[in-house]
This record gives sequence, structure tokens and C-alpha cells, in this order.
Amino acid sequence: MKKTIQIPLGSQHISLLEPIRFKFECENEKIIGVDADVGFVHRGVELACTRSFEFKQVGYVVARVCGLCAITHSLSYTLAVEKLLGYEANDRIKYLRMLMVELDRIHSHMLCLAHTAENAGFEALFMQIMGDRELIMDVQEAISGNRVQFDYISIGGVNRDLTPELTALVHKNLSSLSEKIDVLMTLFDNNWSLSLKYKGIGILKLEDAYTYNALGPLARAAGLATDVRAETNDFPYEALGYKMILESTGDIHARNFVRLREIVNSIEMCRNIIDNLPSGEIQEKTKGKPNGEAVVRVEAPRGELFYLVRGNGQNMLERVRIKTPTFSAIPAMMEVFKGSEYADAPAILASFDPCMSCTAK
Amino acid sequence: MTKIATTLPSLLSDIGAFYNAREWHFLSVNGIDLGEGKIELQWIFSKYGVKDEIVIYFALSDYETPVPSIVSLIPSSVMGEREIVDMFGLKVEGTEKGLYLDEDSLPHPLRGES
Repeated sequence: MKKTIQIPLGSQHISLLEPIRFKFECENEKIIGVDADVGFVHRGVELACTRSFEFKQVGYVVARVCGLCAITHSLSYTLAVEKLLGYEANDRIKYLRMLMVELDRIHSHMLCLAHTAENAGFEALFMQIMGDRELIMDVQEAISGNRVQFDYISIGGVNRDLTPELTALVHKNLSSLSEKIDVLMTLFDNNWSLSLKYKGIGILKLEDAYTYNALGPLARAAGLATDVRAETNDFPYEALGYKMILESTGDIHARNFVRLREIVNSIEMCRNIIDNLPSGEIQEKTKGKPNGEAVVRVEAPRGELFYLVRGNGQNMLERVRIKTPTFSAIPAMMEVFKGSEYADAPAILASFDPCMSCTAK
Repeated sequence: MTKIATTLPSLLSDIGAFYNAREWHFLSVNGIDLGEGKIELQWIFSKYGVKDEIVIYFALSDYETPVPSIVSLIPSSVMGEREIVDMFGLKVEGTEKGLYLDEDSLPHPLRGES
């Protein structure tokens, strides 16, 4: 029997943005076993949603689960409550909600790409992508009035309308970003040093993607055709140009390219949304209090976000269940590490785009 | 959304007969406290490539009855099972406390009595 050693990565580590601890069991440089500790930032959000806040306030509470996909959390909760109230939003509201969710996807994917570049030793590329990402952050701030916690979506609508000036700003910034993404795609595909860090590294096989229920870009990079945008009827995604992005090799390179191609597709959808924005009110009245049980799935930047809400006709809800993408992806991530070199672990981890704030909630 | 009743003794056989990893995506294990020591447990699935098809297996139980683990059928369920051990103080076969909670945390915060 060969001698093995245990090497921790985290909870505080130079390659980590948020606290998570992996305990790797290594045989020389090769990882042969993994354990993960994910609970460092547990805040009891599910408990707070049923004990401390009324249902009309909870949408603003769940937005605080995550600073990156706050819009997706508030949208998922709001859709669940609207189902329980028997309310369906008009097309203008749906389009405005979709616009913000796709903008969220773009800036979140860019953050992940920046960090995978950083973990490959490309500090300048990290800074460049983070700078380009500001184009989307500026648009989201202009539309919602806030930079991170947008609080844009509310029960019965959205909180601010899109003016002609804002529409022009969205077009301008999306055009600028589109050119920059083309440059990034060439760089990520052709740079020899990056390819050494990304190609053939951290592979998730298609069979393992099914076995461990991988989701989001992690699954699609392995060739598993799953995307909530294609599996729900809540929004008219196909009519606005949605395409499922698939790769097949399942490595870091494939995950980067799923994200880059999804950014291109999201830019196209955002343009279609603002060019075809229906008329109508942005806030409608809803009646009653949530009664019954509703489930909602929304494709967050990291994959499927799931909400189950149960109410009993009172202001306080009985249960708010939040299942986040990174929480579900942990078993698949652990499988990818097995057989990898320890030196590749930070780059592999960054390519998963883990969100521990979501996971521990 | 389709809800299918099951019982804890027949959980493994029911989900074993239903679940095909190529067809169904396992979403989550969920618990809902019903008060007076009762709890509803849910195992939630969605179908790949089909719109809005969600199946929830549910079983009614109490705080004390051990819950069978479905990790042998669905390895990714380990996260959800660890979560209900922490949040509801349930006993799940082969699963220990400590995903989120420390020794000095509330013992089972999502129980109605907590």
C-alpha cells in the first residue's frame, strides 16, 4: 500500500474567493480522495424567511443569499409566490425580468472567467476581464438604481421602467462588450500557456455528470443537455433567441467556452428583449395571501436554482426551501478532483465558479 | 408538479423503480415541519428535456424514526440528506451532523418547536 498524505485547501486560501475547505488525500501529487466542508457562512436564511419576515418582505431577504445572482433569487421566490396568488405577469414585466437575469448571467460568467485566468497566472487578463465586466455592472446599476443588491423584482412586477436613455445605454455597452468577448474567445482558445492549464485538465465525464446530477455550465461542458431555460414555460426564451450551449470534453477549457458562448447568446437575447419590449404596466396589483405549495426553477449563472414555497393563507410562510446550484454541484466537483494533480486544484476549483454564500445560505 | 405518496420503509424500492439517471435529474431532499412532532419529507425530481415536469415523492414521518438514505441509488443526495440531519435533527442512515451547524448551534433550527 502506497503512503498517502492529507493536504487541505481552504477555508482560507489564496485561490479562494469564499470560504470552503477541501481535504485532499494525495498519493504523491495525485488526488485520490476528497472531503468538503461547505458550511462556514451559514446564516439561517430559510429560517428567517418563515419566522422573521412576512411574505412581501421575503423577496428582499432571499436576494441577500448571494451578491452575484441576487436577481435570480428574488425572481425565483417572486414567481413561486405569484403562482400561489394565481397571478401571471404581463409580457413587459416578463421581458424586463429576463433582461436583468441575462445581464446577471453575463457579469457572473465574466467574473468566473477572470478568476480562471488569475488561477492560471494571468493577472493582466484578470484585470482586463474585470474591467470589461464593468460595462454590464454599469447597465445594471443604471436600470435598477443599485450596483450589487438590485432589489429590482417585486411581487406583481418590477420596480423601475426602461427609459429611452437606458435603452440606448444598454445597446451601447452591449456592443462594446461584444467586441471584447470576441477577443477573449480567441485568447482563451489559442493562447498556448492557457491551454496548458485548461485543456484536458479537471475533466467531468458525461456519465459522471448524469450520475452526480451535475448542472449548469459544469454539466453542459460535459455534453449533458440540461438548462432550465429550455425546461420551463415561465419565460419566452426560445422566441428571444435562446440557444443551448454544449461542449463535449468536460475540461476547464470546455467550461470556459460554455460561459463565453453563453455570454454571446445572452447579449443577443438582451438586444432582442429591448428591441421588442412590449407595452404595459411595470407593476400590477396582486390580491390575497399565499396558500398552498409552489415550486419554481430558474437557470442561475451557475445552474439550476430551485425554490419551494408553502403558505397557509397567512402573512408568514410555512416553508421556503432554497436549493442553490453550487450546493447540488459539490458531489460532481469532488468526483472531478479525484485523479487530478494537486497543483491543478485551484484552477479546477475556479472553473466550477463555486458560490459558498449561496451554498451555505 | 406531481406528488406521489410513499413511506419510509418502501422509499428505496419506490425510488429505485422510478429513478433513471439518464432520464431524471435529482433536485433535492426537503423537509417541512407539520407541527406536533410530525414532518413531511420530500424527494424532488425534474425530467431532462421536458418542460415543467417535476415529480415529488413525499412521506410523512416524525422526528425519531430513522430515514433511509438513497445515496446508494443517487450519490448526489448526500448533500440534501446531511442538510435535513442538521436542520431538522433527523437520523439519516450513514449521515452525520455538521454540514452547516457547529456544536454550539441551535440543535435543529427548522423544527417548529425551535
